[in-house]
Amino acid sequence: MTRITIDGRAVEADPKKPLIHACHQHAAHVPMYCYHPGLTPVGSCRICQVEVKQGEMPARVVVACRTPVAEGMVVDTEAPKAHEARRQCLEFLLKNHPLDCPICDKAGECDLQDYAFLENQGQGRSVEPRRKLEKRKSLGEVIVLDEERCILCSRCVRFFEEVTKKPQLTVAGMGARSVIATFADRPLEGNYQGNIADVCPVGALTLKKFRFQARVWNLKKTPSTCGECSRGCAITVEVLRKGEVKRLRPRYEPAVNQWWMCDHGRFSFERFNAEDRLQGAVAYGPRGAEAIDVEQALDAAAGLLRVHGPPAVYVSPWLTVEEGERARALAERVGAPPRFVAPPPSPLKDDLLHTGDPCPNRRGLVELGFSAVSAAEALEGLRSAACALLIGERIVELVGEDALRSLPAALRLVVLDTTVPAASASSLSIGVPNAVERTGTWVNVDGHRGLLGAARPAPSGVAPLVRTLEGLERALAAAEVAR
Amino acid sequence: VKPHETYLLDRCNREGSQRLEVYRAHGGYGALEKVLKQGFTPAQVIQLVKDSGLRGRGGAGFSTGLKWSFMPDPEKDPRARYLAVNADESEPGTCKDRVLMEKDPHGLVEGILIACYAMRIETAYVYVRGEYRLPYRRVEEAIEEARAAGLVGKQILGSAFSCEIRMHKGAGAYICGEETGLMESLEGKRGQPRPKPPFPAGFGLWGQPTTVNNVETLQNVPFIVERGPQWFAAIGTPKSAGNILVGISGHVERPGVYEVPLGTSAREILEDLAGGVWKRRKLKAWIPGGSSTGFLPASLIDVKLDHDSLREAGSMLGTASMIVLDETACTVRAMETIARFYDHESCGQCSQCREGTQWLHQIFARLERGQGRAEDIDLLTSLANGMAPGKTICALSDAAAIPTHSIVRHFRAELEQHVRERRCPLAAPEASPRRAVLGAHA
Repeated sequence: MTRITIDGRAVEADPKKPLIHACHQHAAHVPMYCYHPGLTPVGSCRICQVEVKQGEMPARVVVACRTPVAEGMVVDTEAPKAHEARRQCLEFLLKNHPLDCPICDKAGECDLQDYAFLENQGQGRSVEPRRKLEKRKSLGEVIVLDEERCILCSRCVRFFEEVTKKPQLTVAGMGARSVIATFADRPLEGNYQGNIADVCPVGALTLKKFRFQARVWNLKKTPSTCGECSRGCAITVEVLRKGEVKRLRPRYEPAVNQWWMCDHGRFSFERFNAEDRLQGAVAYGPRGAEAIDVEQALDAAAGLLRVHGPPAVYVSPWLTVEEGERARALAERVGAPPRFVAPPPSPLKDDLLHTGDPCPNRRGLVELGFSAVSAAEALEGLRSAACALLIGERIVELVGEDALRSLPAALRLVVLDTTVPAASASSLSIGVPNAVERTGTWVNVDGHRGLLGAARPAPSGVAPLVRTLEGLERALAAAEVAR
Repeated sequence: VKPHETYLLDRCNREGSQRLEVYRAHGGYGALEKVLKQGFTPAQVIQLVKDSGLRGRGGAGFSTGLKWSFMPDPEKDPRARYLAVNADESEPGTCKDRVLMEKDPHGLVEGILIACYAMRIETAYVYVRGEYRLPYRRVEEAIEEARAAGLVGKQILGSAFSCEIRMHKGAGAYICGEETGLMESLEGKRGQPRPKPPFPAGFGLWGQPTTVNNVETLQNVPFIVERGPQWFAAIGTPKSAGNILVGISGHVERPGVYEVPLGTSAREILEDLAGGVWKRRKLKAWIPGGSSTGFLPASLIDVKLDHDSLREAGSMLGTASMIVLDETACTVRAMETIARFYDHESCGQCSQCREGTQWLHQIFARLERGQGRAEDIDLLTSLANGMAPGKTICALSDAAAIPTHSIVRHFRAELEQHVRERRCPLAAPEASPRRAVLGAHA
């Protein structure tokens, strides 16, 4: 560690990181546009100018992102010269900026807007016409580019060069005529395009799926973990007023995903907004589906399991460790081996984040003693059973709803899932919360424990799965006593 | 101008000066032979150049010997190392390297070889601006001639020293004359300057130790080796040694490239060599060293052309390329042209330069068209203060800011007149006649 002084405070700084990192670590506000902790600093936006004094040399104003820390360095982030240099730099950046914040999706989380507000820079001195450029240029399936808003920080260019290692963007043209472009206007490719909307400090690169969807200050942000593969990227779930998930964004987690996440995970939020949620419980009788009380459903389930048991038990790999423990206890009680249904490997596997294993908690469940079976194996087991218990979010989807319907009519099937399976696919269904409605732990492929956050309440009548399982256990015990 | 030896241009003015046989007939490659055969060590050659006081002729005026000494010791740092010869000559008003390359390409080749020997470099690249077709061909031919004579390639003149020289043609961007922009361009990348540090001597071409030298700088080296550093140091002023090529253009009787000792006054160059302001008109303004050094008023024409005198006058020696404006010229219009140039040539990396060069251009264009506002004049100063000094990765931003400051400082009245009268008070300028600049030395 290197000892330096920032704004009068003696602090320790990591000598391998540029000065701006130490400034941020020690709560000195230094704005940044081209600098991103996950990318090579290029020192081109010039907004992070601070005053530095080293030894006997006179104080100089330097860009903090390209300045290494040195023992004894004295940094003044608010020195009049440095502050003035930043203000001037900001004025240049705003000179051609369209200032269409009222219709910009980035407004509210825009570094340029924030710093302009902080500096109270409400009035421009330019009377020149602003640059007219392409306002909505599609860069493929995921991203739209607004060339006028772009401040040419080149973070997006470096993201592809350095993180995915497949350069796709460049700065085309010179000087004030520069624009971000792909080679020959080709659309962007790959599973990581969404990240450039995150790294973009302004509203130049926006997600097509988030365009005009919400004002960001109306979004409630909850730290959580992505469930699309066994990497378990740290994410933030962003939910609008009525509970609609509008965005998943990567959350910095050095041990897992750093600053990034894949598009597959990013856009998986849409399934949380599916409206066919199962609230409470449904029983399928001779008169068709009938909504019943959960307590009633648990008693009925216990009755079914007791009469037709022992049941086959299959759980979803989306179960958390905590839910897994209860499910295993239940399986032990009914004398079934604990098994989870694993979907086939995903072709999205890559060297960056996606592991190709769609089970976010495979490791956690295996550690609890669960073994993985394929959907076909699970179906085979179901076919030879008189009754069965399917537990957890997406379990019906995993085994296949049509496959469930094709099972012998005599099979008594109790399903604990988020959605209502079509008639005859089950005897009894009880709703459970999905991944944005519950807390818990997933153990990723490397053993990292990722926490789920409840970004919104579960629909009314849906209890946490742990409680439902406990209720089922209690009902089973009661049924045994009654016998 | 006092009588003086014009060692650089004398060689250019000989019949067939570009040919090896003519160059050799007048002692050419003698300096290289001296270095290789009299057992000079590389360190001794660097010391020679240091002692001579030679400063770079590309604009910044940094000590050449010192720059060479920054190259790491090859014993400790065995990486490949390069010399990049800056023949991009892109500063408006500058045309001296063109004369040297066309007329004395072997002088350049010899300078390159000695520099490479001193820095233990085995590969040199000559980065020639794209428009310079004849200079490119002349240097290329000189390299081939020298190679055939055993002066370029393996074991030069039978010594252990080997050196290859390769040519590269630029594509016409001003910014590729900036040393790190030049290296990016040589690497086949977008020509934009690199942040420093790291400096080229540690991390240059392809990340290897590299020195970038201007053509004229290298042309001086064989003379220093042959005649000794004391001879060189005695020319010019104590801090600016040697002769310098001055390209003078604009409203003068005899525009061209002249050779004078550093410290010669601008008036002597204008009046004695270039024949004075044309058409017996009066001098209004002059630029001492290329467009980035800004305008000086006629009252400062007695300033001496050397690094320190011009710094004191609030300008720079730059490339010592004088541009002269007569009394009928409009400095605002001239400045608009300069501002347009920097707007066009900014690479666009740094915010202040990308936006500032455009902004300055827009303001000067409005002023010249009678659409200026009184507050624009102070705005110009304020913007230039935001762009320089040292606020950006390279000096292009400074190059636009310096002339802006100069015009406000020295020609404020004219700016105000443009605002007041809502038009340019001067008639459209007469076109400068096109004249050959080659070998125009009197």
